[in-house]
Amino acid sequence: MRNTSRLQPSHIKIATCEPRIVARILIAIALSYLALFLGLPLFAVFYEALGKGWELYLEALRDPDAGSAIELTLIAAAIAVPANLIFGVAAAWAIAKFEFRGKNLLITLIDLPFAVSPVVSGMIYVLLFGAQGWLGPWLQEHDIKLIFAVPGIVLVTIFVTFPFIARELIPLMQAQGKDEEEAAVSLGASGWQTFWRITLPNIKWGLLYGVILCNARAMGEFGAVSVVSGHIRGMTNTVPLHVEILYNEYNFVAAFSVASLLALLALITLLAKSIVEYRVRKDSQTIPHGETE
Amino acid sequence: MSITIQNLNKQFGNFTALNNINLEVESGELVALLGPSGCGKTTLLRIIGGLEVQNSGNILFHGQNIAHRNARERSVGFVFQHYALFRHMTLFENVAFGLRVKPKKERHNETEIKRRVHELLQLVQLDWLADRYPAQLSGGQRQRVALARALAVEPQILLLDEPFGALDTKVRKELRRWLRRLHDELHVTSVFVTHDQEEALEVADRIVVMNKGEIEQVGSPDEVYANPGSPFVYEFIGNVNLFHSRTHALWTQQHGDAIAYVRPHDIEISSDPHPSSLTAIVKQIRAIGPTVRLETATLPDGEIVEIELSRERFNATPVSVGDKVFIHPRHIRLFEEKKKNPEFSANEHHS
Repeated sequence: MRNTSRLQPSHIKIATCEPRIVARILIAIALSYLALFLGLPLFAVFYEALGKGWELYLEALRDPDAGSAIELTLIAAAIAVPANLIFGVAAAWAIAKFEFRGKNLLITLIDLPFAVSPVVSGMIYVLLFGAQGWLGPWLQEHDIKLIFAVPGIVLVTIFVTFPFIARELIPLMQAQGKDEEEAAVSLGASGWQTFWRITLPNIKWGLLYGVILCNARAMGEFGAVSVVSGHIRGMTNTVPLHVEILYNEYNFVAAFSVASLLALLALITLLAKSIVEYRVRKDSQTIPHGETE
Repeated sequence: MSITIQNLNKQFGNFTALNNINLEVESGELVALLGPSGCGKTTLLRIIGGLEVQNSGNILFHGQNIAHRNARERSVGFVFQHYALFRHMTLFENVAFGLRVKPKKERHNETEIKRRVHELLQLVQLDWLADRYPAQLSGGQRQRVALARALAVEPQILLLDEPFGALDTKVRKELRRWLRRLHDELHVTSVFVTHDQEEALEVADRIVVMNKGEIEQVGSPDEVYANPGSPFVYEFIGNVNLFHSRTHALWTQQHGDAIAYVRPHDIEISSDPHPSSLTAIVKQIRAIGPTVRLETATLPDGEIVEIELSRERFNATPVSVGDKVFIHPRHIRLFEEKKKNPEFSANEHHS
């Protein structure tokens, strides 16, 4: 005992522990990097927006064109998020719980929107549905307008946000396996009962996490929407597009005021995301893994 | 309810998981499917439970073909190796699940559900934990809840897939004794899968030994242990020494290419030669509890022969490492080499 008690902790050199000064320098570098590239711009947005006073800020938001942009953004998200929610759950369910041919192809396809630049996705839609596009003449005949109209914006938003929910759920559902579903079925539950009572409660936090990310992207998407929207003020402008127009007109206060809405959305998303992440972690700790007593 | 399995086949791609299985399980019996991993025992259990579908063959419950009935309609209780408890529900809700998902017409009212769930939780001695979540329980407790949950719907048949496989030895022993008692009380036809011979021998009324998708032998624990029907069963259940006819013609006698199977406790040692004895050198002596295990090497070819003696026996004729001893079998069993079916199954020698 006497021998060991003489060993002070500071004398023990732990291989994985850097000297304190190194740790501090590394932390300082990381923090200043974050401040420079993330914190400062965020601050600038609000500074510019509120720099000329609350009056001008609120006026910019009360502008009818801004109102219609906000409305359109909300509509696009309100359609794209539920659509991808249903698709995401269905795809993850199929991939995680069943074996079938072409499974890997499906997983790859789900990732496609992540791999393709949003501008290109927008172009694809113009190429398909535009006036000169493959399906353009047929659509015109039937008096359906997709490109430079609201439906086109909704479609590309769905395309771009397609992977978020499915990608979130697939690993989660694969890790959970299908034991619980099999147990439910053998106890007499129908497919729907099994889904609502067993599967859904098990994935709810992961699902919410996916929805939050999906929603943030749906509201913030610029590139793809920009291509198909046509920038018609008060008609086909979403919030990000409206910001661009205002900025190009040198209307900085209005541009930053509207942009501050998106920044606010980002902050709320981050907050919600960390709350959900905390819950996911808590839940995953309780997954029984056949441990012994 | 009895289970009849007729000419059952199951393939996964090119792999044959089950090859022409025929089996009869009597009503109220507790049967063990025993075999090494990958022998198809779990697949067979899952097909009986309707969680997997066979490629061909029939399953009859009480003489009725149940091919058209899915897992939901088979009234089978299934217990999983990793418990598969619903992690977001309390124990009470776990056990109540089967009662709550019944069609409206058959569903009991809330008071009745409560009464039955508490009755079942009492049966598995966990009533005091009704409001806990599965994550807060030990493995043994979880498996008991899983059993209560399966029993809640009053299944005609209980299927257990390696029910104690994820538990440590002590809890495992307790639980299997408890399962045996429970079965004696309830008398529900039960089939359980295990790779642990001790578990099968101790708990089951009958044992079905499986290997490579086929049934090797069906019989009572005593039959299977004392009278193995094939070399595989001999080697899988209990320890055994093998003697090839080429090198030990004396024991295998004049039967050509045959292998003699001798249990370690069926070998005698003595210091005097016997007409049919082999000479061996003692290599190692390990005394474990009431038995003493000797590892000997035969002369001149050095094949290892394991011998088990009772402590009294060993003390009567003590030997030490390096001693030369004469060994001879009390009971041997011959199987023809490289053929599955015993050609000489009648050739049992007692000397």
